[in-house]
Amino acid sequence: MIGHMYFPLLLQPTKSFPSALLSLLLVMAVHSSRTVSLSRSQNCGTPLQQSLKLTRLIHKESVELIRTYKASQGALSELFCKSSSSEVPQPKISGLEPSERLLSVSSVLRSFLPHLRRVLEQQTDLQSPSSRLLTELSNVRNRSASLASVIGRLYQDLFPNLPAPEPPAGGPTQMPPPQNIFQQKVYGCVVLRRFKDFLLNVARELRTLKSRVCRTPPANTLLF
Amino acid sequence: MAMVLYIGLLHRLLLACLVSSGLAFSADPPERPENLSCVALQVDKRISNNVTCSWDTRKRGTLIETKTSLFFSSGSDEEKEKEIKDADKHRGTVTLSIFPHHMNAKVWVVSENKLGKVKSDVLETEADRFAKTNPPFNVVAISEKQFPESLLINWSQPIKNVYVKLIYQIRYCKHGSQTWSEIPLEDTAREIQSFRLQYLRPYTLYITQVRCKMYREGFGYWSDWSRNATKMTPEDKPKSKPDLWRTINNTEGRNRKTMHILCKDPELSNGRIRIFKVKMQSLPWTEVVVNRTGSQDLAVDLRQIQDPRGIIFVEVIACNSVGQSPKASLKIPRNQHQFPPVNKLMWKSDKGQLLIEWQTPNVSAGGSPPKHNLTEYVVQWVSGKDGKMDWQRENRSTLKTFIRGDLENFIYYNISVYPIYSDWIGQPVTIPAYLEQGAPSHPPSIKVEYLGSNNAKLVWTDIPQEKQTGFIVNYTLYYFTLNERDVQAITLPANTYSYHLKTLSSNTTYLTKVKSSTIKGSATSPEHMFITAKYAPGEVKGIVVGACLGFLFLLLGITILCFYKWQSIESKWWPTIPNPENSRIGTWTPDFHLKNEPPKENTLVDVSVVEVDMLDGKSVFEEDRAGLPLKKDKYLSEEHSSGIGDSSCMSSPRQSVSDSSHSSDEGGDLGETAAGAVQYSSVVASQGYKGQNPNAAAHGQQPQQQQQQTTPSFRRSESTQPLLECEDGGDTPGSSGQSRLLSPGSGYRSKALDHGSARCAEGGPPGPGEQGSAVLLRFWPGDPACQQSGAQDAAESPEFLEAVPASHCMTKLVGYRPQ
Repeated sequence: MIGHMYFPLLLQPTKSFPSALLSLLLVMAVHSSRTVSLSRSQNCGTPLQQSLKLTRLIHKESVELIRTYKASQGALSELFCKSSSSEVPQPKISGLEPSERLLSVSSVLRSFLPHLRRVLEQQTDLQSPSSRLLTELSNVRNRSASLASVIGRLYQDLFPNLPAPEPPAGGPTQMPPPQNIFQQKVYGCVVLRRFKDFLLNVARELRTLKSRVCRTPPANTLLF
Repeated sequence: MAMVLYIGLLHRLLLACLVSSGLAFSADPPERPENLSCVALQVDKRISNNVTCSWDTRKRGTLIETKTSLFFSSGSDEEKEKEIKDADKHRGTVTLSIFPHHMNAKVWVVSENKLGKVKSDVLETEADRFAKTNPPFNVVAISEKQFPESLLINWSQPIKNVYVKLIYQIRYCKHGSQTWSEIPLEDTAREIQSFRLQYLRPYTLYITQVRCKMYREGFGYWSDWSRNATKMTPEDKPKSKPDLWRTINNTEGRNRKTMHILCKDPELSNGRIRIFKVKMQSLPWTEVVVNRTGSQDLAVDLRQIQDPRGIIFVEVIACNSVGQSPKASLKIPRNQHQFPPVNKLMWKSDKGQLLIEWQTPNVSAGGSPPKHNLTEYVVQWVSGKDGKMDWQRENRSTLKTFIRGDLENFIYYNISVYPIYSDWIGQPVTIPAYLEQGAPSHPPSIKVEYLGSNNAKLVWTDIPQEKQTGFIVNYTLYYFTLNERDVQAITLPANTYSYHLKTLSSNTTYLTKVKSSTIKGSATSPEHMFITAKYAPGEVKGIVVGACLGFLFLLLGITILCFYKWQSIESKWWPTIPNPENSRIGTWTPDFHLKNEPPKENTLVDVSVVEVDMLDGKSVFEEDRAGLPLKKDKYLSEEHSSGIGDSSCMSSPRQSVSDSSHSSDEGGDLGETAAGAVQYSSVVASQGYKGQNPNAAAHGQQPQQQQQQTTPSFRRSESTQPLLECEDGGDTPGSSGQSRLLSPGSGYRSKALDHGSARCAEGGPPGPGEQGSAVLLRFWPGDPACQQSGAQDAAESPEFLEAVPASHCMTKLVGYRPQ
């Protein structure tokens, strides 16, 4: 609400330098405290903690998934997992502001989902239907979709006045061309590895955001 | 369009008819589901994607087909719908693609039929709230020797924290106990996988369980309890005194008593007691090794004291492998009466336990020594079944307690409470008690102890105490006749074991039975039949005794009568016959001068004549009855004089010779009579004899005179009549000679006297005939032994032998015949 009150001030033309400087300092102070104020006005931590927990869960599952994936791809899995691919999104989170970074998280996460679906499709052809890899892949993919929706909801909760996250710019995510089996294996491993790294970055980002939003967490929250 | 409206209207009318036909409750719109809840169980290492939800509806049902749908919505699954086809089934399971950890979920139920659609409240919560994990696994308890009061509990979490963060709860109990002790949640509601149980009892087997739940309060479900982790705490030295007590048994009869000093392990034994150290009186300490294999509470018999006398002091210390316990002491006084007992001891069965209550001893009234304070109580119980004894101690503030032993239902127990005054055993109070009473298991047996004509005493045996299942409150005696079946019932106190029925009918069959009752039931004996007597036993005895007494009195009367009337009876039935032996025959020598004495005034006038038939054996009495009057008349005349000199005795039952004609008249031949019988002379005592002298009589008796001449010293009349004693020799001149003659004839027998007894009368001078008789014949009346006696007499008296032939009986006849 405070932000709502002082946004008009930011748009007013400066009449004098002192007054402009005072207004700038005021806007900076309000802007820097806007996020925190919003988070505290909401149910502090619930969506954020859900996102963080879910991110950790998917990260844990992705670690297991990579281990399972390597085990299911043969002896050279360690080698080709070290290779890279330009079609796979980078696990970096861009932006300076939390909103930008959270928006970046949501954008990158959504860009990983088609790759995860592609890997699942490729491994479905390569593995037996009862393969544990398929189950884990499916779980990671589903949870990732859930995490994307949770992050989007979190963004709306934290930045209700900013526009909702949109699909990545430039249309649909660019998918790799048809690949042979080896390429599929390499591709899958790169996707999973990058996705795991991305989840790690997301968890770190959410933790940072949490520390900003919930500086004085309740005792029960600290306990657990 | 009109057709459609018509069908719709018809449909509504049909439903309205259903409602109005009494099926209103069955045709209502669907009920609103309430109390919706869901659960997702753990499968393998994750929470299952099958979420089962349940809800409640009101009890009314519906006849209309109702569709119930369960909806589940979360981030990953936008909306899952599960249709529940069974309307009465208030639960359903939704299968998701994956359980939505850390995400919100919405659940609701929609019921729909033709009369309406109802949606339940939406259950919107975090999906982890539905998770129910498996219990923790690999639960182990670890004992550490340096911590005898502690156990370390370790376990593994059933699911990873990334899915569900868990809190834990721990509970434990002693082995065999039914009560769990739970560790407060504040101590365990954390993400832990081990916990140390403290303040446990050393050397005790503990069972531990763990369960878990999602960490958030109000979220999730507690898992089931884990498997038991059983472990015994390490051993420690005993921390309390051993439980020392004594019991006294009667052995080898009531006079021999044996005191057993018993001891249980300390309550805080903290290990296996291996040795008891015992000290009695001032003797040194001795050790009793404990070899126990059973229950730890089993008492050890430390000492036996035969016929305990005086004051006894006992001290005991219990030892285990770590150390020894504090010392326990017991003082057994010579007289327990100086330590007053508890008051108002009572018992009651309460919730399957035996509750004992009492009041504190009246110390002032009992005069307890002030130096001995009441310190504790000992509650002792002895089973009536097998005599097994046990006890427990209570502190001084306890006035009610439950018996902690394994008491059995329907068993009699003697409960005693002993006050303990600074180790001195006080006077006990004992009451019988049952943990649970029941109906008597055995009926009493009844029998008839006494049976009369109109009464009977019934006796029944008391049920043995070991077979009693409760206190007998009363006995009910039933009796009735066999025909009427009119049952009479008499209720008798419990301490009555016999009853005297007094209003019975004689000679009647009765059936009787007795019922023993407790507060929980009764048992009736089999029917016992008895028949009352026709006569009372006393009646028969009275009759017999009366008859005997009557007979005895009759005999006594007769005896008394005979005693007092003996003279008359004797004179009547057994007339006195003088003993001929005692008679003195007058020695009628030729130069004998008979002194004529004047007749006395009281000379026998009335003479009885006794006639004895020696051969035909007729009783003299019978003859006398017929012929006595006549004979009397005859005898009164002088014509019948026998002519015996001075003898007036009439010993012969027959008439004299002078009366022989009369005898012949009766049909008897004189010759035969003379040959077969001894005829005695008839003696007529009259004045006619006066003046007779022997000489005159001798004129008519020549044959005798001849004999008399040959034996001049035995001259007498011809009569064979034996001379009677009462022929007073002093009165007659021949008395001296007669006495001399009869002295050897002491063989006279009373039998002869009986047959030949005759009344003695003072005789006058013998008749002429008598004087002619020179031979004195001894009287042997028909006795077969007469010959022998005669021979004997003859041998004794040679003189007599000369005078009397070998057959002197015949001689008598011969000598009499000329008469």
